[in-house]
Amino acid sequence: MRRLRYILSRLVKAGLVTVAVVLLSFFLIRLAPGDAATVMAGQAGYADEAYMKGLRAEYGLDQPLPAQLWKYLTAVAHGDLGTSYGRGQKVLAVILERLPNTLLLDAFALAVAMGGGIWLGALAARRPGSAGDAAVSLASMLFYAMPQFWLGMMLVLVFSAWLGWLPPFGIETLGADYAGLRRVADIAQHMILPGMTLALYYLANYARLTRVAMIETAGEDYVKTARAKGLSERQVARRHILRNAMIPLISYAGLQASILVGGSVVVENVFSWPGLGTLAYQAVGARDNPLLLGIFIVTALLVCLFNLLTDIAYSIADPRVELT
Amino acid sequence: MSFLRAFFARPQTLAGFCIFSAIAIIALAAPLLFPRGPFTIVGMPLLPPGASGFAAGSDVLGRDMAAELAFGARISLLVGIASTIVSIGAGGVLGAVAGYHGGLVDDLLMRVTEFFQIIPSFVLVMVLVAFLQPSLASTVLGIALITWPQVARVVRGEFLALRQREFVAAARMQGLGAGRIIFGEILPNALGPIIVIATMVVGNAILTESALSFLGLGDPNLMSWGSMVGGSRSSMWVAWWTMVLPGLCIMVTVLALNFIGDGLNDALNPRRGR
Amino acid sequence: MLAVGGLTLTLPPGADRRFAAEAVDLAVGANEIVCIVGESGSGKSLTAHAVMGLLPHGVAATAGKILFEGEDLLKLPSVAMRRRRGRDIAMIFQDPMAALNPVMPVGRQIAEQILAHEAMPDGKLRKRVAGLLEQMGLADAANLARAYPHQLSGGQRQRVMIAMALSLGPKLLIADEPTTALDVTTQAQILKLIRRLQAERRMSVLFITHDIGLVAELGDRVVVMRHGKVVEQGPARALLEAPSHPYTRELIAAIPRGQAVPPPPDGAPLMQASGLCKRYRRAGFFAPRGETALDDVALVLNRGETLGIVGESGSGKSTLARCIVRLLDPDAGRIIFDGQELGRLKGRALRDTRRRIQMVFQDPYSSLNPRHRVGAILTAGPRAHGEGAAEAQARAAEMIQLVGLPPEALARFAHEFSGGQRQRIGLARALMLKPDLLIADEPLSALDMTVQAQMLALLDDVRRKMNLAMLFITHDMRVAAQICHRVMVMRRGRVVESGPTRALFEAPRDDYTRALLAAIPGRVSLPS
Repeated sequence: MRRLRYILSRLVKAGLVTVAVVLLSFFLIRLAPGDAATVMAGQAGYADEAYMKGLRAEYGLDQPLPAQLWKYLTAVAHGDLGTSYGRGQKVLAVILERLPNTLLLDAFALAVAMGGGIWLGALAARRPGSAGDAAVSLASMLFYAMPQFWLGMMLVLVFSAWLGWLPPFGIETLGADYAGLRRVADIAQHMILPGMTLALYYLANYARLTRVAMIETAGEDYVKTARAKGLSERQVARRHILRNAMIPLISYAGLQASILVGGSVVVENVFSWPGLGTLAYQAVGARDNPLLLGIFIVTALLVCLFNLLTDIAYSIADPRVELT
Repeated sequence: MSFLRAFFARPQTLAGFCIFSAIAIIALAAPLLFPRGPFTIVGMPLLPPGASGFAAGSDVLGRDMAAELAFGARISLLVGIASTIVSIGAGGVLGAVAGYHGGLVDDLLMRVTEFFQIIPSFVLVMVLVAFLQPSLASTVLGIALITWPQVARVVRGEFLALRQREFVAAARMQGLGAGRIIFGEILPNALGPIIVIATMVVGNAILTESALSFLGLGDPNLMSWGSMVGGSRSSMWVAWWTMVLPGLCIMVTVLALNFIGDGLNDALNPRRGR
Repeated sequence: MLAVGGLTLTLPPGADRRFAAEAVDLAVGANEIVCIVGESGSGKSLTAHAVMGLLPHGVAATAGKILFEGEDLLKLPSVAMRRRRGRDIAMIFQDPMAALNPVMPVGRQIAEQILAHEAMPDGKLRKRVAGLLEQMGLADAANLARAYPHQLSGGQRQRVMIAMALSLGPKLLIADEPTTALDVTTQAQILKLIRRLQAERRMSVLFITHDIGLVAELGDRVVVMRHGKVVEQGPARALLEAPSHPYTRELIAAIPRGQAVPPPPDGAPLMQASGLCKRYRRAGFFAPRGETALDDVALVLNRGETLGIVGESGSGKSTLARCIVRLLDPDAGRIIFDGQELGRLKGRALRDTRRRIQMVFQDPYSSLNPRHRVGAILTAGPRAHGEGAAEAQARAAEMIQLVGLPPEALARFAHEFSGGQRQRIGLARALMLKPDLLIADEPLSALDMTVQAQMLALLDDVRRKMNLAMLFITHDMRVAAQICHRVMVMRRGRVVESGPTRALFEAPRDDYTRALLAAIPGRVSLPS
């Protein structure tokens, strides 16, 4: 019952945040010099004043600001995020077309980063100060300092240009028109390089966090108690150390998911991955305000959702935490 | 003396410090080392490193890579340090006030930082830079805008924790005013973690700036490491150095900063573990 | 049962001393309780850990043997040692909150211990666990077994730990300061429990403590350790009545005794408080109810008098202190100091009155700013009130000597001093403002017993010299008896009883006061 009330209050909060996002972005985007009509006219090839006036009327840009804002807010409440300037399609439709690609990539990156990072971190923690530990630490620091776009291009250079093992860009082989399992395999192949690029940075962080968490947890009193009970080292490591060290990692996983959903613009750009990031980049270039606003809103909602899931997972993992 | 000893305790810190100093010196001296500037075409395009006196080779237009790298360093360091000063200044003051006074101010700050965590920050900075016209100033402002909330959170946390310490209560009982307490009692203790965070913020700022210029959103009149990598997308297949070298510079600079940060952490916060 | 011979534990290089324990000899026979008494750094705890084979990383047993039922534990391979742990020798630790896994229900933790050594079907296991919890005096065992450690009280947690340790009927129980982290009344209960279990099971117990008063309650034999060496050992009664080693005598003398308190002087009332109430509000919209810290508290303090406020954790004594110095504002009630109502004062008047009430804090490691030198710490207050730098510095030099530290201390940083020395610095800081009222908020709890005794003497001395009124907050009745003219007992935010010390001790009126007095370890059997 308490949980239900908590979820409801979080949903309300998410709604409020979304409104704030809409308001802020709305006014932020108005900062831009020159309005959308100019841009669209430029794209269409016409610079005729009457045409631009017509465009403005069509998109409601000639109305006073508060009226525009109100119109937009009510539309959003109905699930209508407006029409994209450049593409002429509904914003929501465009976003939903690209969203699954980004989510797919993010899921892959999350899985690899968590799995690999935790494993490596646990390994390093078992023998602190050893050569293996130093290697993991060094690798962590390197990936942490590397620009993601460069890492992506390096991977392309090595695995595509020099070794020819993996395709350098896109989500599937163009024009090949695969279906079923063959298509899945094709997409998977294309996913590896961009996925690894995203994953390696977070993998490094997971490894570091896991290592620190395990070393700190190993020094706790209840670990001593577990040994005093006569448990084997393996049982102690698994049931007491690892189980408790994982808890802070949950927050980090949530953080990673939130950042990935909103920020893989660069990696998607390097690999021409048709996802939300590429969409955002194109929207910025085209001054496509509705689309940008739409991306902000959808991303914010997803992040709120991830935060909620993370908090719930955290409260399940750690019974000391009270949901307030 | 003991500060220097603690600072240089780890070999990596010494390496990081030397490397960063070298980069800074090269950046400052770039106009002297390469008086013709980075944009002048000086030779055949796509010469490998070491050929015809080009230590780092030449790019697709025949410009000196070494000159480009040196001038790129100026931008990275300038943007990194400038945006850090702004974000730490703003975030630090707000975080300190919120952490010390608590109550409404604190609530407000937490809501604002949460908001910035929820919106996609890289997209935001793209929008800002694009719409304000890409330039050095807009880049610095944009990066500072998305960084200050995290800084504020950390500073708030420090002030909140320190405010509970008994020596602060003792200071209040001794009749010290709020200003004396914040600057005289709490700040010297909070400074350590803040300085360490600063090195990380500079590193992140350099990475963000390079990502922006990679995407073509940097100042078009300035040579930046990120724009070098961005411009090498066609040439990298035949001339790896046009892509590898600028990225390597970014990585080495950020790595050196992280090592310096570790060293500062050792020297300033002796009781905090690794 | 257990015979430790010539045990030497070496610490890793870089530690502040070479050996944790040097050539330690001690023995525990069957069906007897042996207490190891020592202060911090005596090596008592590490010696106990060595018996269990739980020495921390870097500490090693480099000489001697540990014979358990004739077998040298130090020579056992780790698998064999593991079999003995929990089954033949069990250990309980000081802080039950830290010693229990916070994310595992307590019943499962007990079951884990059993399953580590024998196989048992689920149903039988659950019954066994419930049975153990009941034996420890815990009610509603079935539900309790499903609880997490943070949902239980300190006393309940320690009982769970004991249940866990005794689940397989070990022959030797090692208890490492099991009552130090508990409230006084809970302490008494746990000691009683241990005594009962020992008698029932005819178990050997090795009991580590820093409080030699506990030994009188509990021990058959005593081992006194200091700086890693055994200083004296023998039958408890004999040792306590006629200690031969000077250190043992020092330890016994350090126990506060409530005999030397003269009747309260008749001074004019300096401070009066009445009707004080304070609730802590919980953050968030959905929790308007908070915890009551103070409920209609009243007190009177006369000039030149020491009033003790005694209570366990959650009694509100610290909150009361903070309300008096206006670090917190009470929700209701008045405090009148020297004729002025504290709540009404603002600005300059508040500051001037504030300097007349000063405080010595509980935690010596948190009450001094680590970035300031001692001289700056002492002169900050007077200078904030307008005193000149040179004058303040001169007075600081006088004051630091008054509290027993050399004038060179002024140039050093806080972390260069021990806990006891830091408390002295804190006292000096409070005295620099020439207060009329000194509040001491549990100033002794973080200190060793011998250091406590010195600090107590210093406080009393200072009070007399400067004719201060003192409010002394403590959880330890013995300390209150030693130094306070009158005592006020608090529980859950209310004043339970108050009156002159002697009268309160000899004829307590309230049940709770009686319980507190009964909980004083060794009260009955210590020679006075």
